[in-house]
Amino acid sequence: MEQLQNKVAELFEKGTISLMIGFQDGMSKGAVPCFVESVEQVKLLIYNSYCKNNLAVYLHKPEVKQAKKVGIFGNVATLRSILQLLSENQFWNIELTVMTINANQEFILFESIAEVEKYVQANFPQLTDEEKELIEKINTMSRQERWEYWKDLFSTCIKCYACRAVCPMCYCPQCTVESNQPQWIKVSAQTSGNMEWHTMRAMHLAGRCINCGECGRICPVGIPVHLLTAKMNLDLSKEFGSKTGYSASNGYALNSFNPNDKEGFIR
Amino acid sequence: MSIKNTYIPYKMRIANIVEEAPQVRTYRLEFVNPDEAKQFSFKAGQFAEYGILGEGESTFCIASSPTREGYIECTFRASGRVTKALASCEQNDIITLRGPYGNTFPIEEWYGKNIVFITGGIGLPPLRCVIWNLLDHRDKFGEISIYYGARTTKDLVYKHELEEWQNRGDINLFVTVDPGGEIPEWKGHVGFVPTIVEQNAPKSENAIAIVAGPPILIKMSMPILAKNGFENKNIFTTLENRMKCGVGKCGHCTVGKTYVCKDGPVFTYEEVLTMPAEY
Amino acid sequence: METKLLQSSDIPKLFDNLIKSGKVIIAPITKKSGKVFFERISSYDQVEKDYIQTQFSAKSVVFPKVEELFTYKKTDTGIEITDTLSQIPEVVVWGLRPCDSSAFDYISEFFLKENPDAYFARRKELLTLITISCPKADDACFCTSVELNPGSTAGSDILLTQMGNEYYAEIITEKGKAVVESSSDLFTATEPKTKDEFLAKITYQFSLEEIKERIKTAYDNAQWKHESMGCYGCGACAFACPTCTCFDIQDESDGDEGSRKRCWDACGLSLFTKHNSGHNPRKNQTERRRQRLMHKFKYSVENLGIVSCVGCGRCIRVCPAHLNIFENILNVTKE
Repeated sequence: MEQLQNKVAELFEKGTISLMIGFQDGMSKGAVPCFVESVEQVKLLIYNSYCKNNLAVYLHKPEVKQAKKVGIFGNVATLRSILQLLSENQFWNIELTVMTINANQEFILFESIAEVEKYVQANFPQLTDEEKELIEKINTMSRQERWEYWKDLFSTCIKCYACRAVCPMCYCPQCTVESNQPQWIKVSAQTSGNMEWHTMRAMHLAGRCINCGECGRICPVGIPVHLLTAKMNLDLSKEFGSKTGYSASNGYALNSFNPNDKEGFIR
Repeated sequence: MSIKNTYIPYKMRIANIVEEAPQVRTYRLEFVNPDEAKQFSFKAGQFAEYGILGEGESTFCIASSPTREGYIECTFRASGRVTKALASCEQNDIITLRGPYGNTFPIEEWYGKNIVFITGGIGLPPLRCVIWNLLDHRDKFGEISIYYGARTTKDLVYKHELEEWQNRGDINLFVTVDPGGEIPEWKGHVGFVPTIVEQNAPKSENAIAIVAGPPILIKMSMPILAKNGFENKNIFTTLENRMKCGVGKCGHCTVGKTYVCKDGPVFTYEEVLTMPAEY
Repeated sequence: METKLLQSSDIPKLFDNLIKSGKVIIAPITKKSGKVFFERISSYDQVEKDYIQTQFSAKSVVFPKVEELFTYKKTDTGIEITDTLSQIPEVVVWGLRPCDSSAFDYISEFFLKENPDAYFARRKELLTLITISCPKADDACFCTSVELNPGSTAGSDILLTQMGNEYYAEIITEKGKAVVESSSDLFTATEPKTKDEFLAKITYQFSLEEIKERIKTAYDNAQWKHESMGCYGCGACAFACPTCTCFDIQDESDGDEGSRKRCWDACGLSLFTKHNSGHNPRKNQTERRRQRLMHKFKYSVENLGIVSCVGCGRCIRVCPAHLNIFENILNVTKE
């Protein structure tokens, strides 16, 4: 933690960054995303096991984009989000300085995005056993059982859009649900509209979601929405061999074409 | 429970349609149910929620005056989902109306005073209600001056009425279009509304000013009125914020503690200056 | 106010009686996710007995997340509009906390004082609140800072305090009396008792009088930005909150039929104040978060005379960024 604070203070003094995104102390079981704009505030920065949020989502904030020279600190999920977003041509006008703490509690300041890629590829995460089990369980259900399973869960959704708000990949200035000409998806939080929302979101994230699991973790109602995209990614990985959050220059499975793709219709 | 359910709308028949300007229409509405017509009353400044079942509701002022009975009028621009649906209606179609909501212009307090209107574009409809009120009791008021402008000659609303007002002889009417908006036949002024106001320097003695319209017009007009000696408590405006319920519950229109729908939309500029700039 | 005793072993019978009466009974249950929610129950077995606070408030019994205002049908002869007031059932909520019942007082004042809301009025008329005082609290609870306490009777029809194997019942209103009368064999008379030793100790975070005074000049404080930057702009806090009452009105149609519904909305969402022209009076998240806190501690006071925060701590628990309302309020009102 001291190393983090010292290094960030140095970056401020050198003028390498004018804004640092990290964590500060929160209540007993949480850490709060923290935005440091001066050397004096650096002492707020902490790192502990409560620092779970994927901070990459804040890179879309207008206040952050204005800062232009931004330092960001995060776990592997945050790093992967950054790579995925770079591969989608986001942040081309921000000078990003990326930092992390590895499994041995060592602080790492990446000198380049290539270094971030190397680190991520060497520490590429897998789904947890729990998640794998639940996906398997849903997979073995019949279509009707699966429909009932999700319908039951989504009837409790309150359309708070916390899942969208914490997702680094949800950066559309105008979300589909915010259109009323036409009203693609109902505003009120009722089962059919809720299912439309989550299905649509899963489709928009297919091949882009890096499985940080934040959406499911923070859902106030406790719906494991992250499983929808996790399963989509497993399928896409099988079909296209794609890996999300792997490199800053990938594009993603559903927006790129390889002449060696097994489908021949486009040749 | 004898609480009136304000969310159940009145059904209104479109009795007449006037195409005022590109995408701007005026509807003359009559109550489908004559009993509802009898008990409906409103005052200048109030608004209503006009709607199409299945599309939604939109907020506009009531642009006619309670001094003219048997109908109410509204003027709107087709710019969003609900207004576009409203604009595709035809004569005799039924639309819904909830209201009247909001506070009113204190017209009784203005007897004997000179009234100055400054407005532009579709800022004129909310003021037309007041103007009709004044004209229907013309002898109760002093000088009436109306400064009205639009981007181009086509965008002026109530074109026939403007002519009538011009011909009356007891109104100082200044109609203007923005520079570049005039056509060769245009005989009126050319210039932004605040500029025309400045050139004609309305007197503040025993006068009330009412300013409504695009935010930029209001912003530019206030210093000119101040220069001419108008006190903020004698300048009235209508604030427009996003509204849904119309009765001070849904929270969309709040500015600080004030609900524009319930405590407004009519405010003095003095009141506006006490609010946070969230409108 | 009457005081009675109710044996814990008699509660299943009380529930049976309430259910048999045909009323809708809402009580806390633990869901698969491990979180506790208010839901309709059909037997006391389902009810969660050991919890600090539910994830969401009980406000949905008077202010549902989706409320059908009326249905309509377009026919050849005209348009029929049918309101839904007559469909509202009688409801009993069991197991809410004193902060929640106090919140019902606030939202009643809000919905009924001026331009009374017919739907809210009907639902409140048919509602009975049986509150259970708090034996435990966590560090998100701060009811004492907003001048409430874990044994407060405000807003409740009956307040129950567990004392060993029995519940001390304070019967506060006529509705509370009616519940007792319909199960009179289960309640025995008792002298008034003190509850303190059975109530949780809540950490005192701030003086409400001081906050109410200092917030009057806090609007332009630059500290708002730092306190709000982490805000994701979702609606979780507003939807979980027992006093948040903002809503949207939406029409949903299916050919010639349809309905007009009102549904929860949140001032933290970016489109809340956006005009059709594109102009947004609260255009960044700092302004939106400031609005929420100012409303709770200043504007409600100016309009209704009371703060609209009851210290339940739900906003802190559901916030994906762990933003803490009382810390934020303290920081923006620091001298």
